[in-house]
Amino acid sequence: MPAHRELALRAIGLRKAFGDHLAVDDIHLTVPAGSFYGLVGPNGAGKTTTLAMAVGLLRPDAGSAEIFGVDVWRDTVRAKGLIGVLPDSNAMPERLTGREVLTCLGLLRGLPPAVVAERTDELLQVFELDSAERTLVIEYSTGMRKKIGLAVALLHAPRLLVLDEPFEAVDPVSAATIRTILHRFTAGGGSVIISSHVMALVEQVCDHVGVISDGRVVAAGPLADVRGTGTLEDAFVDLVGARTGGTEGLAWLTS
Amino acid sequence: MAHLLTPGTAALAQHMIRMRLALMRNSLRGDNASNLYAGVSLGLILAFATIAIAALWPAYLPLTLAVWLSGWIFGPIFIGGGGETLRPEYFSMLPTTPGRIAAALLAGAFAGPAPAVNLIALLSLPVYGWRFGPAGVLIGLVAAVATLVTMVMISRVVVALIGLFVRSRATAAAVGIVTGTAIALCGNGWAPAVAVGGADTAAWSRILVRVLPSGWGVAAVEAPWPLALAVLAADAGVIALLLAAWAGLLSRRVVSAARGGVPPRRGIPRPLPAAGGARIAAAKELRVWWRDLVRIQLLATAFSYAVVTPLLLVTIDVWIMVPFTGLIAIVMAAASSANLYGSDGTALWLTLMTPGAERADVRGRQLAWLLVVGPAAVLLSLTGTLVSGQSWAWPWVLGLLPALLGGGAGVIVLLAVTSLVPGTDPHKRGGNPLSTGADETAETGLAWLVLVTVPATALPAAGVTLLAPWAGIATGVLTGALGAWGLGRIAYRRLESHGIDLLNLMKYGPPPQAGEPTTADLPIRHRIGVTVCYTVAWLPLFPQGLAPMFMKIFGVEDRVWFLALHLPSIWQWPTIIFMIVLGLLMYGYAVLIPMRLSSSSSTTTG
Repeated sequence: MPAHRELALRAIGLRKAFGDHLAVDDIHLTVPAGSFYGLVGPNGAGKTTTLAMAVGLLRPDAGSAEIFGVDVWRDTVRAKGLIGVLPDSNAMPERLTGREVLTCLGLLRGLPPAVVAERTDELLQVFELDSAERTLVIEYSTGMRKKIGLAVALLHAPRLLVLDEPFEAVDPVSAATIRTILHRFTAGGGSVIISSHVMALVEQVCDHVGVISDGRVVAAGPLADVRGTGTLEDAFVDLVGARTGGTEGLAWLTS
Repeated sequence: MAHLLTPGTAALAQHMIRMRLALMRNSLRGDNASNLYAGVSLGLILAFATIAIAALWPAYLPLTLAVWLSGWIFGPIFIGGGGETLRPEYFSMLPTTPGRIAAALLAGAFAGPAPAVNLIALLSLPVYGWRFGPAGVLIGLVAAVATLVTMVMISRVVVALIGLFVRSRATAAAVGIVTGTAIALCGNGWAPAVAVGGADTAAWSRILVRVLPSGWGVAAVEAPWPLALAVLAADAGVIALLLAAWAGLLSRRVVSAARGGVPPRRGIPRPLPAAGGARIAAAKELRVWWRDLVRIQLLATAFSYAVVTPLLLVTIDVWIMVPFTGLIAIVMAAASSANLYGSDGTALWLTLMTPGAERADVRGRQLAWLLVVGPAAVLLSLTGTLVSGQSWAWPWVLGLLPALLGGGAGVIVLLAVTSLVPGTDPHKRGGNPLSTGADETAETGLAWLVLVTVPATALPAAGVTLLAPWAGIATGVLTGALGAWGLGRIAYRRLESHGIDLLNLMKYGPPPQAGEPTTADLPIRHRIGVTVCYTVAWLPLFPQGLAPMFMKIFGVEDRVWFLALHLPSIWQWPTIIFMIVLGLLMYGYAVLIPMRLSSSSSTTTG
């Protein structure tokens, strides 16, 4: 069936250098439609840079990206209509309240006012931001910022969600809520890509994983294939070739 | 065992100085480095000029030192926060008293180029003291150090006060009004001085410039021994008081939770209008204007400058500028709105990820700017022209008003997307609500660009008004509409094609191999020349050129400090014309040299 072969996201040879530092070096990724894809890697591996290039927020030095077959850099407007994005640590319209942010962006996307009002209400409620009606986004806590970012990504009911570290700084209850929402989204035919360095979480929620290290993909595919018989964390440490430190030095701390 | 010993003030101060120098060394790259060299060169020129004044025209020394002091006071307000390299927040967890941290931070504050340059300028005090013998030189040396510390302390306290108390619209507007008035006084302060009267002015101004902290050194040098010692002791006392005040302010700032200059609010905001496109973007932008203390402060600066400048001339019964109050306000407000996208930071990503939002965003920002500036400017123009009784001004005001409003609305969005100056994202800014973290030199350059470009958009209307007064109105409306529409169109097209580059400029800074050269790529010789010209060109053009010209035209007798009016009458007009031409040439050089470099290298690289 063609639906099985359809790809939500395809990155082809993405490459990006910042000065002398090669942040992303020839990355190929295929994310099947309907999958919950986890992009994992150590700090500084190039996850954020890869995702930014894949959604059209950072111009790659080489390579291209397609979203449901639409080239992100050639048919930008169509591609943007298909995705919802949560970037890492970007600013928001800081001097609006959460409700104003959602209303404004919904109307700018051309959704009918009634639909915008209804979705805004529901999203604020689900993410428990409705109690902060007078708070401007600039006054939000880190967790609240993450949640309003997620609400923005969901607002226009995209087909693919690309979320950079969606669970970082979010409390356990909200994290559970977000997990439930994302699972409902994939169950309804949507596709999700998240980046994370929390292996247990990725193992729990994702069905596909890609492991990035030093700007290169070192393993990718269905979760079961990548982790083999052990845990994802073991596989990850093997793949990345890292050695857990912390046993040497720091004698003064315990003396 | 936990290590609980805190280093003493001296050691702490030493660490601060090292840290400050390390921070400076690490930021000395590209733009920053050449800006610093240019700034230091300019400062050195001014410093040696001050010493020359002490040697040759000592009567003007206290006034000159007062100008240095005003630089320390208003500099941080103009450039938003005084570029605190060492933020007090960094040290809030050190187990020591606020007083010690303040003293150490003060030491760190001296480890920079500005105090060093200022110390050279203050060597004018021992030079002046030389007239009073060896004792005068000695007192001058002590006074130079004491005055430097006082000036730096006053500057720090001003920054701390702003950081702590600018928490509401009223205080932000107050800072803006003071700033606007100060700029107006710099340009036209001579008028009220003339109005107060010639000989008397000298007497009280002689006392005034010695009563100011900048003049204490001069007073000490001139005074007999015991009084001189008393003045120096009093200065030391003031320094101690300022240090205590600063320590208190710092410790309050560190624990105050306010972020990013947000005024306090009550109640739930009204719902946004159920419109799409540019209207919703404008509604959003209007709320931002109302909720951003930086914008409120800048707007207050623009309008107070526009109102005060003509009023200063009214003191010598010159009403010629009053009808143009609203027009000045438009140009100044445009200059303070030139970095619209830079001030919002990486929030641009949302516009870029929303299909077709670029056009709505640009149009919305234009509409909001017109709604914020337009009504007040129209009101000021109409009442100004009516009240002044200058009926000849009607066609000029009515023609230039729409031309400047439209031109301003076009120029600000165009420059916002072509000349963006990256700052710190609003949510990551420190404890100073009026600081945007942007490169002040670049922001000032951008403001100058607006000050030149916006009036240029009104040139057609001015030309037509000169020929056929009332046809100018139609021309003004036409060019205004064309400017707002056309420049806005170029702006959103540019945002559609280059928005990503702007976003990444703000996120990651300028790319290492810049495709498009900036002023920073100029040879250092030209870079210094451009900075010097930008900074001092107003001197020949306005006070030494245009001001004496108007005074001659209107038959004002006072000669003030205008060179031309002190010369024999046959040389007066040639001198005035020479000064105006000199000023224009300097501005021309400052604008054209970077442009020439830019075009020549883009043809070679492109």
